[in-house]
Amino acid sequence: MTASEIIFWFLSVLALFSAIMVLISRNPVHSVLWLIVVFFAISGHYILLNAQFLAIVNLIVYAGAIMVLFLFVIMLMNLNTETEPQRNTWLKVIGVISGGLLLTVMVSAARSAGELSNKTALIGAGDIGLIQNLGKVLFNQYVVPFEITSVLFLSAMVGAVVIGKKD
Amino acid sequence: MICSIIVRNKGSFRHIAAFGLLILLIANILETYGKDFFHVNTMQLLQFDRFGFLFNSIALGATLIYVLLTGKEIEKSGKYAAEYFTLIFFVLCGIFILSAYDNLLMLFLGIEIMSIPLYILTGSDKRNLKSNEAALKYFLMGAFSTGLMLMGIALMYGGTGTFQLEVQRISVGMYKGVSFLEITGLLFLMVAMAFKVSAAPFHFWTPDVYDGAPAVFTSFMATIVKAAAFVAFIKLCDVRMTATLGAIDWKLLFALIIVFTLLIGNITAVFQQSVKRMLAYSSIAQAGFMLFALFNVNDVAKEGLLLYTAAYSLATIGIFAILVKMKDYTFEGYNGLAKTQPVLAATNTVFLLSLAGIPLTAGFFAKYYMLAAVVKTGSYIWLVVVGVLFAAVSVYYYFRVIQAMYFRNGNAATETITFSFKTGLIILAAIIILIGILPQVLLNWFYF
Repeated sequence: MTASEIIFWFLSVLALFSAIMVLISRNPVHSVLWLIVVFFAISGHYILLNAQFLAIVNLIVYAGAIMVLFLFVIMLMNLNTETEPQRNTWLKVIGVISGGLLLTVMVSAARSAGELSNKTALIGAGDIGLIQNLGKVLFNQYVVPFEITSVLFLSAMVGAVVIGKKD
Repeated sequence: MICSIIVRNKGSFRHIAAFGLLILLIANILETYGKDFFHVNTMQLLQFDRFGFLFNSIALGATLIYVLLTGKEIEKSGKYAAEYFTLIFFVLCGIFILSAYDNLLMLFLGIEIMSIPLYILTGSDKRNLKSNEAALKYFLMGAFSTGLMLMGIALMYGGTGTFQLEVQRISVGMYKGVSFLEITGLLFLMVAMAFKVSAAPFHFWTPDVYDGAPAVFTSFMATIVKAAAFVAFIKLCDVRMTATLGAIDWKLLFALIIVFTLLIGNITAVFQQSVKRMLAYSSIAQAGFMLFALFNVNDVAKEGLLLYTAAYSLATIGIFAILVKMKDYTFEGYNGLAKTQPVLAATNTVFLLSLAGIPLTAGFFAKYYMLAAVVKTGSYIWLVVVGVLFAAVSVYYYFRVIQAMYFRNGNAATETITFSFKTGLIILAAIIILIGILPQVLLNWFYF
């Protein structure tokens, strides 16, 4: 096994384990902390794929900004095990069944697909993920969605003011 | 192309908004016939075709009528009238993207630009708890469906290696020439779009949101926005779903969704006590009819969808315009409207008849085209029968309103009705009857 393979397996196991921990932690604050670990593991994967920009943005935006927001919301709402509402058992059963069905379908589809076998990701090669190339693509081919996104943000901003302003 | 004009249109009064809409409508019609004002190279991300332009014209026309009829109510519904108009223009901008997108990225942007202002319009009545609840519900469910949609788009990118709507397919080592990733992605995308058009298993937000939102904005949401989501959906079906028909039976899937949507929408609408809530369920039922166009995308279906958009939007805008003038939104509130406000009652009857699909109104031909599109496939005739049956059921609850207006005693309390409002309603009813007698007036544009 090469070094990058070892890192890959380590990161994958870490990501899956902490993702499961996000779900089964009783304390919501622990969930959030595990989620940060997930984001770090995924960022590690991005670096392995030579996509440094994506890795850094993922860390700054998700692990940094959004997680802080999560923590604030959880602390403001004062969630803990006592105040957690009891869920209907039937709902749980139905949820498990439908989620399991979706999982079965997706796994069997992935297993039967011939296109994925004998293919490996490019590791440490290729420069698509570098910020220089990203900028070039963003301002040449994808300049229209880039500009139109500003309309989206403008509308969201107007909306935030309308909703948030005191009457 | 058109968006940049729109964004500057921050009208503080409804007259400015109406004027802006009129300019846009004229610009759009001119552009339909090849006179473009300025050309932007969109790198094949947007593709303006005849179908899209015609839909834009209908959407703009309907919005113009909407602003003219209910502009006053929009100003009354909160303190920020100027912002509400701006948000409506933002929604229109999203609609234009949706009618022209040629790339899944643009589809996503269009859907988002269309949805986010709607969340705010839903919650614009800040003192009303129901409005707040509706906005929060709509926002959370909408965010969830957006997540599904992004997941779907990502999977489709994985399956085909491009965001472009039309793809070159290589069929090596794939299931019947289609990547399973693309199928899974398309399924996710279908769920998200079905949510936006409120088709049956994903309709749960619709009644609460339509009921909780201020009636003026419900009218906008239920008509123009919904139709735009359908146009986006039909473009997706036209290209991607037709191409993957070999690998997955979309027809059966759509048939199930249609039957389920019609069933839920119509049967639940029968039991409603409030006209506003009844209209929410009826809009689910109407969505079931519009889904017929997606079932088998052909020229008849596309024409039919345009016609349906026009018929349904105009009639629903009219009904809601009358609804917001009523003091009481229940069926009892309409008792004896024919005596106190004969013009309102008469035009309301025309709108309701059109929604029910009675001949001589626009709704009849709209439904006819939808069913004809399915008949053209040759199979699935049972689906047409189901459609006709549910159209008959829908007559019952639309006629309940007519019955209340004409045959029940009572004095329906309305706000003061101006002369211009009445004139507007009469013109609207006249347009509906005109399309009902001569649907070609509208459809001929398609071929010029």
